[in-house]
Amino acid sequence: MQTNFTLAQLADQAMAESEKILRTCVHCGFCLATCPTYQILGDELDSPRGRIYQIKEMFENDRPAPETVVKHIDRCLSCLSCMTTCPSGVNYMHLVDHARVHIEETHQRALPDRILRELLARLIPNPRLFRLALLGAWLARPIARYLPGRLKGMVAMAPARLPGPSPIDRPQVIPAEGPRRRRVTLLNGCAQQVLDPGINEATVRLLTRHGVEVVVARGNGCCGAVTHHMGKEEPAHRAAKANIAAWSAEMVEHGGEGLDAIIINTSGCGTTVKDYGFMLRGEPEWADRAAKVSAITRDISEFMVELGLNPPVIATGQTVAYHSACSMQHGQQIRTEPKRLLQAVGFQVRYVPEGHLCCGSAGTYNLLQPELATELRDRKVGNIEKLKPDLIATGNIGCMTQIGSGTGIPIVHTAALLDWATGGPKPEALRDLSDPAQSGADPDRSMAA
Amino acid sequence: MHTLPTSETQIADTVLAARAERTPLEISGGGTKRRLGRRVQAAATLSTDALRGITLYRPTELVISANSGTPLSEITQTLGEQGQELAFEPIDHRTVYGGEGAEPTIGGVIACNLSGPRRVNAGAARDHLLGVRAVNGRGEVIKNGGRVVKNVTGYDLCKLFAGSFGTLGILTEVTLKVRPKAERAATLVLFGLDEVAGQAAMAEALGSPFDVTGAAYLPATQASTLGVSALADAGTSATVIRLEGFADSVAYRTDALRGSYGPRAATTVLDDADGAAVWAGIRDVRPLAASSGSLWRVSTTPSEGPAVLARLRERSPVDAVLDWGGGLVWLAVEAGDDDGAAAVRDAVRPSGGHATLVRPAGGGPGEGEVFDPPPPVLAMLGDRIKRSFDPDRILNPGRMYAGV
Amino acid sequence: MIELPPPREDVLARRAQIAADLRGLIDKPEAVIDAADEMRAYETDGLTAYRQMPMLVVLPGSTEEVSRVMAYCHDNGIRVVARGAGTSLAGGALPLADSVVIGVSRLSRVLDIDFANRTATVQAGVTNMGITRAVEHEQYFYAPDPSSQIVCTIAGNIAMNSGGAHCLKYGVTTNNLMGVTLVLPDGQVVELGGKHLDAAGYDLLGLITGSEGGLGIVTEATVRILRSAEGARPALISFDSNEAAGACVDAIIGSGIIPVALEFMDKPAIHATEAFAKAGYPLDAEAMLIVEVEGSEAEIAALLDRIVAIAQAHDPRTIRVSQSDAESALIWKGRKAAFGAVGQIMPDYYCMDGTIPTGTLPEVLGRIGALSAAYGFQVANIFHAGDGNLHPLILYDANKPGELARAEEMGAEILKLCVDVGGCLTGEHGVGVEKRDLMPVQFNPTDLDQQRRLKSAFDPQWLLNPAKVFPLTDTPPAWDDPAPLNLPTHGGVDAHASH
Repeated sequence: MQTNFTLAQLADQAMAESEKILRTCVHCGFCLATCPTYQILGDELDSPRGRIYQIKEMFENDRPAPETVVKHIDRCLSCLSCMTTCPSGVNYMHLVDHARVHIEETHQRALPDRILRELLARLIPNPRLFRLALLGAWLARPIARYLPGRLKGMVAMAPARLPGPSPIDRPQVIPAEGPRRRRVTLLNGCAQQVLDPGINEATVRLLTRHGVEVVVARGNGCCGAVTHHMGKEEPAHRAAKANIAAWSAEMVEHGGEGLDAIIINTSGCGTTVKDYGFMLRGEPEWADRAAKVSAITRDISEFMVELGLNPPVIATGQTVAYHSACSMQHGQQIRTEPKRLLQAVGFQVRYVPEGHLCCGSAGTYNLLQPELATELRDRKVGNIEKLKPDLIATGNIGCMTQIGSGTGIPIVHTAALLDWATGGPKPEALRDLSDPAQSGADPDRSMAA
Repeated sequence: MHTLPTSETQIADTVLAARAERTPLEISGGGTKRRLGRRVQAAATLSTDALRGITLYRPTELVISANSGTPLSEITQTLGEQGQELAFEPIDHRTVYGGEGAEPTIGGVIACNLSGPRRVNAGAARDHLLGVRAVNGRGEVIKNGGRVVKNVTGYDLCKLFAGSFGTLGILTEVTLKVRPKAERAATLVLFGLDEVAGQAAMAEALGSPFDVTGAAYLPATQASTLGVSALADAGTSATVIRLEGFADSVAYRTDALRGSYGPRAATTVLDDADGAAVWAGIRDVRPLAASSGSLWRVSTTPSEGPAVLARLRERSPVDAVLDWGGGLVWLAVEAGDDDGAAAVRDAVRPSGGHATLVRPAGGGPGEGEVFDPPPPVLAMLGDRIKRSFDPDRILNPGRMYAGV
Repeated sequence: MIELPPPREDVLARRAQIAADLRGLIDKPEAVIDAADEMRAYETDGLTAYRQMPMLVVLPGSTEEVSRVMAYCHDNGIRVVARGAGTSLAGGALPLADSVVIGVSRLSRVLDIDFANRTATVQAGVTNMGITRAVEHEQYFYAPDPSSQIVCTIAGNIAMNSGGAHCLKYGVTTNNLMGVTLVLPDGQVVELGGKHLDAAGYDLLGLITGSEGGLGIVTEATVRILRSAEGARPALISFDSNEAAGACVDAIIGSGIIPVALEFMDKPAIHATEAFAKAGYPLDAEAMLIVEVEGSEAEIAALLDRIVAIAQAHDPRTIRVSQSDAESALIWKGRKAAFGAVGQIMPDYYCMDGTIPTGTLPEVLGRIGALSAAYGFQVANIFHAGDGNLHPLILYDANKPGELARAEEMGAEILKLCVDVGGCLTGEHGVGVEKRDLMPVQFNPTDLDQQRRLKSAFDPQWLLNPAKVFPLTDTPPAWDDPAPLNLPTHGGVDAHASH
């Protein structure tokens, strides 16, 4: 597509990158087909092609983000379904990230919106504060219906039970069972360890059982995605650097014992950590380390496929609806691995119809755009329930919370299911699930050792 | 007055002269279906019968062009020599009009958009018309379309000419898509089904993956008229389904389809020759050709074919043949004053579609409406379209509707 | 830049009032878009070389709303440009400065699936693929398959009479359309056709199909759905020359086989698409055919055997028969995404859509090659070989001054060449604004005036998409009033029955 930038504009590295992205777009419109907001709203302004066009205008004219453009960019889930569809290879992720930074820098939001975003940006990345906030929200539940709009929704999202912090999330080294095959570090993250500490526990059990030593590095924490997606560049980069510093210290070249991989069990974080290299490309003292970190980052499912799974030790065969998080299938292009793993231990895995569509979670999206998020959730739940599954598996805590708020079908992290099948405890969410009937398991069990 | 021009220019001159004198023309080709449609109000006739000859034929490009007066038989034979055919299988009206006229011409076939049993699979005549040359009512030579299948350059006037009964222009040359003739044609017969079950069986066949190219239903009295002993001897209704293609493929699909019906009806498979007789008979409405009363052609929602018949029987005795999976209903109606028009149209209306009076009890052409009168907005549009081609209503006035 | 009719200043002067009035006709206020920032996204379609901001954009939610908006525009002399998903490669949805763009994207409901009669009725904003998705659980599909089928709307398909790779066997939109709900320029709503075949009277359905939004706006459509064959499988056959590939196409058709698809790609096209699809296309071949046949396993095997035998006689470089559904999908993925995929090698492409008699393919490709050398633009050729529809993609860089104009010039040369060898300007993309001025290459003034008079019959004020299809002229052709006839005295013709 033709662009109109001055040489002065292109001297800015970020703008030059964006110009290159815009040039790749041929305006064919394929992305409209798989964009969740376009599916719902039917307005091209709420489609990737429309947003690309609005961003192009905004950048070319070098002007503050207008209210109308902010509205349509805010509605974007950053699910990146468009990137899977795009035949021209447009990097929409980097373009919309840049636009969000531009909005944050040039656009004054209305006060309530500003407060809400600031609140989320400070609470969610900090497990201690987030726990307190959830406790507050839990206490506020009885008065939820008297609260205004989005606040009501936020309180409603607070979980009914709030588990205590897990010892696994403290800095430590957990040795492999048997001979050590690999040494990895685990991003133990922010919101997930508060909402469901069992996921990290299950991940560590799964890894150590398969001969992997797990390091929980001191100083690692939120990956920065929450603030990154709000266009808040500074705190996002600060979080990234903290992680890079913590993990690099474990690498041989920095005097550590060495790392085979950085394991992520929240795909939203995985997309971000895999992009650290790009994020910090302009900061010479960080760029190399960031790129190295991104290069060895693996989703737990990718890593377990590499490693191979032990055979199941329990009766499986339950029907699992596998929900692929957008950050998994579009952000990281991980499509078949989780399904193959679940099949390998004997689950009957079904893909969800319209599986490319987002569930509406999208980080803080369900809190900032509750109407659209709820419509997407209901559509997702409808598609899942068509499969009549015994349980739902997914690899992203955001989706678990979002989908879980709309259905009674238990929803479990893929790693927790794999842990259970290979010797770990039954996930709490499945306590009412009975053993499978003696139907045949999926034939595709070649993964099992 | 009867003019027989031998060139497009002569046709244009004739129309110009007629327009100058405000003298409407009746347009004809071989004259085999002059009785199809309303009576034309014209003192003079223009025949394309002398405008003959195939002008282009490229078998590997699946295309043929011919002047409009070329006999259909000539085209069929030329195509046949290369193992090709016109897939839309046009009806020959000489059967229902008692052999009137010389030979059907390709121009007449297109002008009346005539299609036979393969319509359900291969499309209508209009779907095979790639290009036309014609003289409009202003005496102008116009062309549209071309000789290639994929063509969206400008408005598709070919579609308008097909089925316009010569009221928009006099076709001088047509270009048609052709298809390879099937190596083998098998006809599966299901005996003894009633209309509803027969229609359901046809719907199953057409909804099967087996590429069915014909699906018709013949009640017992009609089944025996086609000169095929397998049908005549059975003495029951026959639901006939045609499968065409390469021999091994036809054998496989025929078996698979036959098997899918299970034991609900006795079945047989006709060989190519018997099958050809059956489908030619259905195409030309041979079973009802000799009936007294009036002959109607109804196009309706296929699943509604039996319902249309049931409604009609409440008012009048009727003989029928169902083609197109039930969507084309040929009716021989014991007519009242109006050739059964009110009864037939009332019977069709709830099911959707339309009815054409093909042959009035008196032999026709009809004095009343032959085609369903269009709703006012469409009549207005039709009138404006007619005027855009033929402002003075020189060509075949009244053939379709009064005023058009 | 393309010339557009001068905007009507009196209409533009009333813009604010018109926007307010339209909001009164539509349930959802947000569906009337009047902010410049937002309308910007509607200034172009799949042909970004042409851009024009509209006056307003409206996204109605029902046939009634479309009808109200059309009636309002008709009564107020406002031009209207209809838009589906905006994927036209011919600028068919390019707005005019004083126009209201009516988008049908919110009309996205599937209304009726009737397997017994093999029809589907949908609102016009449903995508082409959306129809297939709605019926595929019963192994049915909607046959026309333009490359943009995942996103293009059935409204746009009808407006452009879209084809696709598989129409060799199943035909294009016009052959698969049974009925429509059409809103006329004055807002009147008519039903054409239905679940029966061959509607009575003039074939208005056939006429409006491919009329490029100039005769009315379709809000609902009933289409024929077909039962899928038991299976389908493509074979890839590559050659050392375009001539050999062309001769092979002729030989396949001549043998009596009608493959469901027969696609041709030349070397640059193979390279561009392989970069995206990684389908294993032969990168060292000069030309490649994708030949697909369908039926049962045994039928497929038998047909492919025949085709392979024919290909062997044409000195193929490689022959690869797909061995699995996944492999077949991959083979098609490259072809279907071909246009977008060239974005990976050049920032801009200009896509031609002429049709040629298939026998002239080697000659035409040779002459395109000469043009390519003369103009200095790389050209990738993608060709529906079975039906002669050729898509040369002229690769250029719009940021380089003058390149677009020269690409357009070269494109025009290619299209004239197509007409010259007996073909036509556009096979499936439509004339739009892009090929408007080339129409006299294919049609003489008399031919064009006949078509123009037809437009006047539907749209006397020329308010609907007026700058498309026909070269701009000052006035629509004169409309003749009928003169009285000398009728014969016998009989009872009522030639002037009132309407």
